[in-house]
Amino acid sequence: MRTYILRRLLQTIPLLLGISALTFLLLQLAPGDFLNTMAENPMVSADALDAMRHRFGLDRPWHVQYLLYLKNLFLHLDFGESFARHQPVFVVLKEGLLNTLILASAAAVVTWGLAIPLGVLAAVRQYSWLDKGLAVFGVIGLSVPEVLSGLLLLMVAARTGWLPVGGMHSLDYDMFDPVGKAIDLLRHLALPAIVVGLTPLAGRMRQMRGNLLDVLRLDYVTTARAKGLNENVVVYKHALRNAINPLITLFGYTLGALLSGSLIAEIIFAWPGLGRITFDALLTQDQYLVLGSVLMASLVLILGNLVADLLLAIADPRIAHD
Amino acid sequence: MLRREAFHGLAMVAAVCLAFGATGCGGSAGVAASSWKDTHPLPADTLTESMDEVGTHGGRFVLAQTVAPRTFNTIMANETSSTDVTDGRLFAPLILFNNATQEMEPCLAKSWEISPDGRTSTWHLRRGAAFSDGHPITSEDVLFTFQVYMDDSLHVSLYDFFKPYGKKFQLSAPDSYTVVIQLAGPYAMLVPVVSSVYIVPKHTLEAAYRSGNFASAYNVSTPPEQLVTSGPWTLKQYAPNEKTVLTRNPYWCGVDARGQRLPYLDELIFLIVPDQNTAALKFDSGEVDALDDVKPENYRKYETGEKAGNFTFHDLGPALNTNFFWFNMNRVRDAKGGKKIGSTYVTPVQYAWFSNRDFRIAVSKAIDREAMIKSVFYGEAVKNWSTSTPGNKVWYSPEATHYDYDPEGAKKLIAKLGWKDRDGDGYVEDASGHTVSFTIKTNSSNLLRVGMANFIKDDLAKIGIRCDPSPVEFNTLITNLRQDFQYESLLLGLQSATPPDPGMGQNVWRSSGLTHYWNIKQPKPETATEARVDALVSANVQTMDMAERKKTWLEIQSAINEECFVEWLPTLIYKAPIRNRFGNVHPSVIPHRIIWNIDRVFVKPGAGRA
Repeated sequence: MRTYILRRLLQTIPLLLGISALTFLLLQLAPGDFLNTMAENPMVSADALDAMRHRFGLDRPWHVQYLLYLKNLFLHLDFGESFARHQPVFVVLKEGLLNTLILASAAAVVTWGLAIPLGVLAAVRQYSWLDKGLAVFGVIGLSVPEVLSGLLLLMVAARTGWLPVGGMHSLDYDMFDPVGKAIDLLRHLALPAIVVGLTPLAGRMRQMRGNLLDVLRLDYVTTARAKGLNENVVVYKHALRNAINPLITLFGYTLGALLSGSLIAEIIFAWPGLGRITFDALLTQDQYLVLGSVLMASLVLILGNLVADLLLAIADPRIAHD
Repeated sequence: MLRREAFHGLAMVAAVCLAFGATGCGGSAGVAASSWKDTHPLPADTLTESMDEVGTHGGRFVLAQTVAPRTFNTIMANETSSTDVTDGRLFAPLILFNNATQEMEPCLAKSWEISPDGRTSTWHLRRGAAFSDGHPITSEDVLFTFQVYMDDSLHVSLYDFFKPYGKKFQLSAPDSYTVVIQLAGPYAMLVPVVSSVYIVPKHTLEAAYRSGNFASAYNVSTPPEQLVTSGPWTLKQYAPNEKTVLTRNPYWCGVDARGQRLPYLDELIFLIVPDQNTAALKFDSGEVDALDDVKPENYRKYETGEKAGNFTFHDLGPALNTNFFWFNMNRVRDAKGGKKIGSTYVTPVQYAWFSNRDFRIAVSKAIDREAMIKSVFYGEAVKNWSTSTPGNKVWYSPEATHYDYDPEGAKKLIAKLGWKDRDGDGYVEDASGHTVSFTIKTNSSNLLRVGMANFIKDDLAKIGIRCDPSPVEFNTLITNLRQDFQYESLLLGLQSATPPDPGMGQNVWRSSGLTHYWNIKQPKPETATEARVDALVSANVQTMDMAERKKTWLEIQSAINEECFVEWLPTLIYKAPIRNRFGNVHPSVIPHRIIWNIDRVFVKPGAGRA
């Protein structure tokens, strides 16, 4: 097991190198550079622009820029500087990290807190109206893109005034007591968390239902029933434990999407997280900030997948990673 | 066990939903009268601001920003999201441009005089004026600030303005409250440039400057108490990508007629929102107190909603920003990409059309700008023929030559060129049989520009010229404009500088300029008109005589327009909704349109939060 983990971790190095090279190349292929918007200011002369281009190193060929980036990364663990902010990339990303984790965790609560009980309910009452209703809900949840559900919910919030129109805190947040602060945060969190959690919720719910139905048809369940065990014990004690196994793996993947899964919702709901920082950096071609963000999200994704595989091995003794 | 857990999950979600339903709106704290007490004695030389009515302290003003500030270092800030917060708010200049009168007023300097030869200017600082940490503002700080602006390696965007006649400003400080600037010759841009230099504290920034770290000093992560400011405001809080909260600088030298220290408001908040639509939603919900950049198609909504929303939809008049297009007459300047130096980027056939003055005038005469204003701008625009628009009180010159809508005249010019529709397809062909057609590029995200391009297409079709609008993504457009010159004509706008002095836009008119769009960076002027304009631009800034400057500026505009290098389009009339509960509100067309005088704005007594 230990060698397996070590091997997987070593594999991430070439993977991240490849991701960074590809990201850098794509950024170079995109038209223009960071100084584009500045060039539109008639007060900025050609000399001033050249001086800035030199200071940012943008006057060098792209492969030289990339190799310098790698050198700084490996020798000094330096992810470069954001052009716009004149600050190290990590400092800028750190601002959004916690907020993105809060949103992703809330979305995970929405997803898993509802998917498992609803999936179990649908399976236990197969072909009931409840099951059919949940199936319709599942189809809608899987097929409505985040952009649409986000905008629709935002519209509802704006029309009714029940929930705030985006953002993370009220303006008066600092004046609230701790309970008020928590409620304020939850109110702002509700819509984006629903939007991010909805699609995986629909999927996981259907998977939970399918898994449980499969298991309920197995011989040992029939045996348990034949023994005269209480139906609740049969379903929840014997069947569910086996049916939930594949979902543990999927939970690992949820971890992987922690940083990258909420980009669209963050932009729609003005959530001050990594997604907005990255999107802004992409639009202004703040290249090292984009690179830093992509690398961080990739690393978390790779680690999440690793955790998923390990969880599977722990949950199912038949699987061994060696 | 699992069953209990699953149930627990459900129960928790239900509890969360209940919490949302029950509390309703958690916010809406009433803003009571300020508990603020002025504990510092007023400076010897106070700055008494003129205003409609004397106000009272307290309250806050909330404004939306679609981009977060990137730095609080006013000297390094290049984008409006940062300068909206720093310039005039956190940092003050020696003299300040008044957006309402469009004249210069004293600020940190109480007076200044300029010698008759224009070479020596003396600036008298306010005694007792202090930074937000109480440290006095002296000539040392002014000298340091100018040194940073003129630094060769930092090379800030204003850099070139400090080098009239190729020589940098020479500054000296005879005493703590006097600064003398020596120039090589009379320089019209002296006053505008001094008004754009925001004074920064030497005692906190010198170390960073000496160690080469100035660019990263005063960044958005700087703790507010370490961010020492010279303006009416100081930083209270910056929540990344959420909001920037400013509060009053307790040492600010500005006072009202009764000697009460300004600003009146306790807080000025910049709320960061993803886009203009969210800003509008937040204005509707009362969270935001004013809205900038309202699109003309939404003007009706605000005109009819004034009473219900308890706001006034202020008419700011014609914008100082312009709209225009031009034809690509650029030439290859360096031998990259296998092109011959001196060859044109467009085909020789098109270059022959574009470089023909009659063609350019015919295009200008074909455009029915009045109809364009009615359709594209919903009636909310005026005709404009210059970078000094009708909104510019000092520099607008209606008498400058221009070619307005005249379809018959346009057809005559086309006939004079010998262009006729020979194949009956509705479009004219030139003498060699090529159909006269070109594409017009603009950025797809700006619907007004796309609308104008489509309108131009229809109008040009009426005189037999084919024009195909081609909206592209902004970065692609700028690359086409700057690097590969892959366009035939391009529709763009220019933002005005503050102050809106034509000397600030020299790069547009000089043939060597980077924003001399139709043919940039000419080694020497290619046409007689451009040579003349180059000389006129120099004459315009190398004098202090206002009458002389107005004369040369008129000549520049007429010379450019006689050649029709720029095809001018209408300019928008700005309107902005602001809540009625604020006093001394004076929105202007000059940036920052709404908060330029925010230090004088106050919450009217008895007016609660909307």
